Amino acid sequence: MMEQPHSCCKGAEVLLNLQPTSSVSIQYHPFFGPHDDLVLLELDEKLLSDVLYQRVTLRGQPDEDAVLCTKSKTYSVKFVGTSNSVFLIPPADCSTSHESGGENYKQQVATASVIKVAPGNMELVEVAPRLDKLKSILSENLYSSDEASTAMGDLYKWDDLINKVQASDDELKAGLQALSAVEIDGYWRIVDEKYMDVILRMLLHNSVLNDWSLDSLVEDKVVSVLESDGFPCKLVYHCLNVYGSRVEEEAMGGGVWRLDARRVCVHFARGILREGKRKMESFMEEWLRMIPEEMQPSFDMLEGEVLTEKLGVETWVRALSVSSLPTTPAERFSILFKERAKWEWKDLEPYIRDLNVPGLSSEALLLKYTRRSQPSIDAEPVFSAR
Amino acid sequence: MQIQVKCSCGAEKCPEWAIIELQGVVEVQPSFQHSLQNLQIGLLCRPSSQENYTFTVGYHELTGSKVALKKPMVVLKKIKYMDVATSSSSCVELDVVGVIRHKILFKTRPTALISGPQPTVKEKINAAGA
Repeated sequence: MMEQPHSCCKGAEVLLNLQPTSSVSIQYHPFFGPHDDLVLLELDEKLLSDVLYQRVTLRGQPDEDAVLCTKSKTYSVKFVGTSNSVFLIPPADCSTSHESGGENYKQQVATASVIKVAPGNMELVEVAPRLDKLKSILSENLYSSDEASTAMGDLYKWDDLINKVQASDDELKAGLQALSAVEIDGYWRIVDEKYMDVILRMLLHNSVLNDWSLDSLVEDKVVSVLESDGFPCKLVYHCLNVYGSRVEEEAMGGGVWRLDARRVCVHFARGILREGKRKMESFMEEWLRMIPEEMQPSFDMLEGEVLTEKLGVETWVRALSVSSLPTTPAERFSILFKERAKWEWKDLEPYIRDLNVPGLSSEALLLKYTRRSQPSIDAEPVFSAR
Repeated sequence: MQIQVKCSCGAEKCPEWAIIELQGVVEVQPSFQHSLQNLQIGLLCRPSSQENYTFTVGYHELTGSKVALKKPMVVLKKIKYMDVATSSSSCVELDVVGVIRHKILFKTRPTALISGPQPTVKEKINAAGA
């Protein structure tokens, strides 16, 4: 008994493997129709395996444009229509195909059936993750010293964040890191700056009392002392993470940490300027007083954190932290130009350094969102709103 | 909200679908509008060993070729179901049911064949595109 040929005489297969001098009849499928539930998605070859191996998800709220996320990247999904007729032909399902004509008639004519005429296809454009929402929802309920009485409203676990924020897992983790968020009892929280200030000051106070070096703080000692002062151990670790870095891995007394001078100095500068701008001399005097003896502050530590302006003969300092600005370029530039109409490059750069738009270099960003002018040949170029 | 993109057939077994693309619109004679199923649109032939094809629709003949897509496409099927487990309202899933890597593309003006009996399906030249 001869074996049935493996290849089907129907469907996409016959079309794609059509032999020379052969023909195939193109027909409307028995189930031809609009099939709005069938969509075509064009993607780069390198994304194909992520899709086929079920490593991508679509994320977004019903009122948002959907984004497609791999483990580490985010893509916006756009529909592109076509005026051509795109006949979509599925593979034949040979097991359920029904032969037209009698049993004895050998099906010699190959057929391929069109299930749908596609109006177009979806395509993907890589985009920056939409992290502004992360900051705003976590800022709804800052973790503060009177946490017990104020913890109301919405708190978010990792899975809640995935559902609300249009970003890939890796980008979401990086976003949480950038916000200095901390996971407490399964919920991701941003700690109130005033509370962080209290913890940091207590740490520094104890360092002086106990003669600890800020370059080699012993984790276990720090945690036990501050815990006995009433601070939750989770927050003490968080404080070490925010203002320092681990220099040695788990050893006898736990890890060893070094406080980062820039992060500590920026923290105190922000505290001083929280109530409003200050004259330079007054600011510098108070700032130097607050900073631990071992640390050498310098004004350029504050780039991207403060703006200086000359009013008459006085120089004033005020807070403007890049971390408080929107992550989308259009909104970022809009706020920057509201703060100051004209910027020199050296002042502007720290405030746009972190902008991330896939496919746009910083020169291209400047071209797109700013107007560059140069008062005279040897003057510095100046950037203003378009 | 998160919608998982699945591939229930399995990545290695994901079947290849095909596309025939032409400029213009295929028109069906009015009396056949409501019984399209199994109606022949036309005959696709491959005359030689080259990847050139002719497509005869009604009294028009189109010539074209099989091209590899610059970027592959996947065919996604939207599946809506009621999630009994979480008793939430309808859930949506996307299932990859096919991959498309090639299409047979016709982009030249059709030539008219010697007129025969009125075809049930004919190709209408797209006024803008042709």
